Amino acid sequence: MGTDLKSVPDTVIKTDLIPEQDSTPMPTEQPANSPDLRELEQFLYHEARLLDEQRWEEWNALYLEDAEYWVPAAAEQEDPHNHVSLIYETGLLRAVRIKRYKHPNAFSLQPKPRSVHLVTNVILEGYDESAAECSVNSRFIMLQYRREKQDVFAGTYHHRLRIEEDGFRIAAKRVDLLNCDAPLENILIYF
Amino acid sequence: MAHYTDNQLAGLIREDCVHKKVYTDPEVFDLEMERIWNRSWIYVGHDSQVKKPGDYFATSIGRQPVVMTRHKDGKVYVLFNRCAHKGAQVVGDSCGNMPRLRCSYHGYVFDTDGTLLHIPREEGYSGAGFGKGKPESNMQQVPRVDSYHGLVFASLASDGPDLKTWLSGAAVSIDNLVERSPEGRIEIAGGCFRYLHDSNWKMFVENLNDAMHPMVVHQSSSGTAKRVFDERLKEDDPVPFELEMLAPFTNNYEFFEKMGLTAWDYGHSVTGGKFSIHSAYSPIPGYMDALIGKYGEQKAREILAVNRHNTVVYPSFTLKGAITSIRVVKPVAVDKTVIESWVFRQVGAPEELFQRSITYCNLINSHANLVGPDDYEAYHRLQYGLQTQDGNEWVSQHRHLGEDEVDEDGTRHATGTSDMVFRHQFRTWKDYMVGAA
Repeated sequence: MGTDLKSVPDTVIKTDLIPEQDSTPMPTEQPANSPDLRELEQFLYHEARLLDEQRWEEWNALYLEDAEYWVPAAAEQEDPHNHVSLIYETGLLRAVRIKRYKHPNAFSLQPKPRSVHLVTNVILEGYDESAAECSVNSRFIMLQYRREKQDVFAGTYHHRLRIEEDGFRIAAKRVDLLNCDAPLENILIYF
Repeated sequence: MAHYTDNQLAGLIREDCVHKKVYTDPEVFDLEMERIWNRSWIYVGHDSQVKKPGDYFATSIGRQPVVMTRHKDGKVYVLFNRCAHKGAQVVGDSCGNMPRLRCSYHGYVFDTDGTLLHIPREEGYSGAGFGKGKPESNMQQVPRVDSYHGLVFASLASDGPDLKTWLSGAAVSIDNLVERSPEGRIEIAGGCFRYLHDSNWKMFVENLNDAMHPMVVHQSSSGTAKRVFDERLKEDDPVPFELEMLAPFTNNYEFFEKMGLTAWDYGHSVTGGKFSIHSAYSPIPGYMDALIGKYGEQKAREILAVNRHNTVVYPSFTLKGAITSIRVVKPVAVDKTVIESWVFRQVGAPEELFQRSITYCNLINSHANLVGPDDYEAYHRLQYGLQTQDGNEWVSQHRHLGEDEVDEDGTRHATGTSDMVFRHQFRTWKDYMVGAA
């Protein structure tokens, strides 16, 4: 039973599955004086670990007070002010959320949710020596477990990091969730 | 599986309680889809979502896919989203613009009012009972479509009350929503949340007028917000929106009692009226001036004096005037419901008003916020708790029984913490389910 390719119309065998060339260049060398990639990775792993170990205050201390923590509700969402977001918080709201984790009547947190955050594909995207800041792009998987139900979330982290004498501080974090616009149940832990 | 007679269905509803099967029995859910969601006026979308000819917005009525379109005659149509040929859903994306609707299976093409325009190899139908010019070969329009201030409703029943009659007292909430725009015009903007719940749709609908829950369910978020803001804000700091929004959830019982409850024909109801948990927000610079410019001072003050909290337009959506947002109920299964949150921009109002509504929805309606998950948890525990076989088959709605004040036109009033609204919703439910509505 053979297929005669000549009888198949051109449109069907057209190879349009090869993606177009991406304009983002592959990173080769680090910019001069920029932080070491290994240090950046260790910082991201550290942040993930603080979340998994529910060391919320230590986690929040990684952030500058006015740092925006933003989880858009739409793919390629342009801004957090004219479109709804799953989470859009600065220091004050983070402090509320963190204090609420310990509240005896936070019923959606009983039993307590648990998580595993995996961070990978870390790329230094930009370095601004004068501002002492760098941009880091990475991918993550977050497993959230609570009361017999495990949810899998995945997406992209965009960190803007301030380089300080004693290490990095997070100046902004944007989390692009793969299924940000899907009907979802509760998200109880920071990505 | 039980097969309900009308008498058995009516027997699920008593004046002071309802049988738990109204929340747990899949057969009751199927009957609700047929007798409530296929008959009542159901909110489909807002006409600002289909501004230009060819614009479409695909959504659902009950479990059925429909698509709202703007046709070249300028009118809005609601079509069953099904190809007349083999039955495939024709429009697969949620929204966009297409001059024609083309089925992705065999390429049959329909106009945006549903008319069949093209069939590949049409000669195959010569002499057959299918093809152009035969109404049954079109994408079918839903039996009735009407709109009120741009809010588009559809009814899958060809008979029934007209939309304005059916909206009864809830129409005032929509009037006020639109009047809050200095141009008298609203439009959908800023995206949408789709919050999946593992509970029956009626639990959400009831909760929107349940004034006995906020101080318990939302103590951990509202109470914590008050404490944290208190610790961290200096005396001269402006009060952030976020605190103004979260704090009133833990107002005391007296506050919620005085907010009051009103209910009208066809199951609609509202909490608040003269004041609500939204009425103490700081004024937005320039907004009052814009309203006075349009309406004059007295009318502008009257518009802002309408402080309805949550209006339930039974069964398919709820509305907040001050927040200019709606939540749309999408029943999926007896224990599965999606709640969509949409925001309206008040055309001509300062952008800050719209951005405040966005902030409110992020804080209260997102599935990753500090308020919604505690409501979700309450509904979850209801759905699971009702699995018990402890001899108590009934769900109480006794609070302030026999204390309703009823006007001549049937409008009911009660103290804000009364179960009056639940009793009223289930009277309506019974009317739909056993044929009186």
